Amino acid sequence: MAGDEPAPDGGTARGAGTGFEGIDWTAVDDAGSAGPSAAVTAEVLVLLGLAAALVYDYVVLANEAPTVGVVGWDVTGVEWLLVVVLVVGAFHAALPLARNRRLTAYYWRQFRKNRAAVVSLGFLGVVFLVGLVGPLIWTAPNEAIDYAAAYQPPVFAGGSWEHALGTDAQGRPIWHLIVYGMRVSLEVGLISMVFAISIGTVVGTAAAYFGGYVDEALMRYVDLQQTFPVFILLLLLIYLYGASLLLIIALYGLFSWEGTARLVRSEALQRGEEAYVRAAEATGAGRWWTIRRHLIPNVSSTVITAATLSIPVFILGEASLSFLGFGDPDVFSWGRTISAGRSDLPNAPWISTIPGLFLFLTVLAFNFVGDALRDAIDPR
Amino acid sequence: MGMKWYVVRRVAWAVVATYLAVSLTFGLLMVTPNAGADVAAAQAAASGQDYDAVRERYLERRGLDRPVEEQYVDYMTNILTLDWGYSFSQGEPVLAAIGEAWVYSAQYFVPSILISALLGYGIGLYSALNRYTPTDYLGSFVAYFGISIPNFWFAIVLILLFGVVFRLLPTFYDSGVALLSVQNAKQLLLPVVVLSTASVAGQMRYSRAQAIEYARSAFVKTARAKGASEWRVLTRHILRVALVPLSTILIADVLAVLFAGSFIIETIFQIPGLGRLALEAIQQRDTPLVLATTLIPVFIAILGNLLQDLAYVALDPRIDYGDR
Repeated sequence: MAGDEPAPDGGTARGAGTGFEGIDWTAVDDAGSAGPSAAVTAEVLVLLGLAAALVYDYVVLANEAPTVGVVGWDVTGVEWLLVVVLVVGAFHAALPLARNRRLTAYYWRQFRKNRAAVVSLGFLGVVFLVGLVGPLIWTAPNEAIDYAAAYQPPVFAGGSWEHALGTDAQGRPIWHLIVYGMRVSLEVGLISMVFAISIGTVVGTAAAYFGGYVDEALMRYVDLQQTFPVFILLLLLIYLYGASLLLIIALYGLFSWEGTARLVRSEALQRGEEAYVRAAEATGAGRWWTIRRHLIPNVSSTVITAATLSIPVFILGEASLSFLGFGDPDVFSWGRTISAGRSDLPNAPWISTIPGLFLFLTVLAFNFVGDALRDAIDPR
Repeated sequence: MGMKWYVVRRVAWAVVATYLAVSLTFGLLMVTPNAGADVAAAQAAASGQDYDAVRERYLERRGLDRPVEEQYVDYMTNILTLDWGYSFSQGEPVLAAIGEAWVYSAQYFVPSILISALLGYGIGLYSALNRYTPTDYLGSFVAYFGISIPNFWFAIVLILLFGVVFRLLPTFYDSGVALLSVQNAKQLLLPVVVLSTASVAGQMRYSRAQAIEYARSAFVKTARAKGASEWRVLTRHILRVALVPLSTILIADVLAVLFAGSFIIETIFQIPGLGRLALEAIQQRDTPLVLATTLIPVFIAILGNLLQDLAYVALDPRIDYGDR
C-alpha cells in the first residue's frame, strides 16, 4: 500500500517499503552531516536580511545617518563584508562543529596535545572579540586626540594607569589604536581568506575533476597569476586608483588563491581515483553532485589548514602596505601606527613597538594554530 | 612527448606570459585617467591657465590621444626595444635610473640569499636527523619566529636596540661609503639579518619536512646498512634527492623576498636601491618609472620560474613530460 500513497517529499516513495532501495539516501546523509534543509534555509534568510539592510543603508539612509542609530555606527562596505563572512562562517564552520559533537571532541583532543596552539587559540579568541566589539566600546583614535597628553609612556615605563599603554604624538591612547587595528586585521584576514579559499577550492576541484582542456586552461591561468606578484599588482593598482581597504582586501582575495587551487587540485586528483567517487559515478551521480558531496568534503582538511595559514599572510601584507604608506588613509592599521612611530623611536619607542608586538603575536598565533590543525585533522 | 618538446613548450609559455603581463599593464594604463596629465593640468590651472586645454595638449604631445590600437603597438614596440621612456622624477632615462639603483639592492640581497639558503638547509637537515632534541625544538622556534615577525617591525626593533640604545651600528645606510670596507659591512649587517630571518624560516621548514620524508626511505636505510657514515648519508643520499623540491622553494622565496622585502628594507634603512626607486616613482606619480619598476620584477619572476622548471628537467629523471 505504501507505494500508492503520494510521496511526502516528492518521488522517494516509489520503492518505499521494499527495503534497501526504499532508503532516502539524501535524508540518511543529512542526518549525519550538517543537515542542509533547515540550516541552508536559515542561512539564506539571514543573508537575504543582510542584503535588505544593505539596500536600506545605501538607498534610504545614504550618507546622512549612521546605520545603527542607537550606537551611532555607520556600517562601511568592508564591515558589511565582514558581517557576511561571519554569517557564512557561523553556518559552515561553527554549526557543523556543534552538530558533530563526537568528531569535534576528537579533533579537540588531538588539537589539545599542542600547548602552544591552545594558548594561541585563546589569544586569537580575545583578538577576535576585541576587534569585533572593541570599536563600539573605545572611541575612535581621531576623536581621542589630546595634545596635552602626548607622549605619555606606558605604565611599565613610568606612565599612569589612565593610558596604560601610553599615547602617541597626538595624545591618542595606544590601546585605542591597537583595538582599531585589530578590527582592520580581522577584516583583512577573514574576508580575503574566505574569498581566496572559496575560489581556490572551486577552481582546484573543478580542474582535477573535469581534467582535459578545463584543467589546462585553469592551471595555465594559475601559472600566470603566480608569476604576477600580488604585492606588485597591489602597488600598481593603488598607484592608479588610490588606496582603500576594500581594494586591498578584494585584491588579496581575488589574486592569491593560486596556492590553494594547486594544493586542492593535487589532493582532489588523488581522491578522485578512490572507490567512493567511482561508486557515486556508477550509481549515476552527476558531475556537480560528485564534486560537491564527495570531493570537496574530502579535501576539506587540506583546505582548512591552507585557510588558517593564509590569514597571517594577508594580515602581514596589509600591514606592510600600510607601513609603506599605501594603506587606506581612513583606517588605523597596525602598519600605519608602527610607521607613524618611527620618527619618535629614540624618545617614544612604545608607539612603534607595542602595536608591532600585537601584530607579531597575532601572526605567530595563527601559524601555531594552523600547524596544530594540520596535525589534528590531517591523518598523514 | 620527449624532453625537447617539453622545453620548447615551456619556453613558449614564458614568452606568452611575458606578452600577457605587458598587455595587462597597458590595459590598466588605458582604463585609468593619466596621472601625469592631471599633475601638469593642475599646475597650469594654479598659474591661471585653462585646465582642460593644458590636459589635452599634454596628451597630444605624448601621442596619447591616438586610437587605442595604435598606442598599443607603440607601447609594445617600446617595451621590446628597451625604449622605456624618461623619468622626470629622477631627471634621467628610466633604464639609467634602474642601472644605478640595482647595485645597492644587490649589496644586501645577495648575502641574504646565500646566508638564508645555507643556514636554512643546514638547520633544516640537522633537525630532521635529530628530531625531538633540544636543537630541533630551537630550530622550530626560530622557524616560527622568522615566519611570524613582521620584517618592518623587526628592523625597527633592531635599529632601536643596536643603533639607538647600544650605538653599535649605524641606523641608516650611507651611500657615500666605499663598497669593500668595514663600514659598508657594518651598515649592511642589519638589512641582511632582517631579510635572511624571514627566508631562513621558510627554507628550514621545507628542508626539514623533505629530509624527514627521505630519512625513512629504503635507499637511506640501504646506505646505512652498507656502513655509510652519517655525513655521507646526509650529503650524498638525502640532500641530493631533497635538493630538487627545495630548489623550488629557493626560487619562490628569492622572488617573494625581492618584491615585498626590498621595499620595506630600503625604506627603513634608506638604501637607494630598486625598492626605493619604485616607491619614489609612485609617490611622485612618475608613470614610466612606475611601469619599469613593475615590469622588472614580473620579468624576473617569469624568468625565474622558467629556469626552475628547466632545472627540474635536468635534476630529476623521474619527471613525466607527458603529464604537463
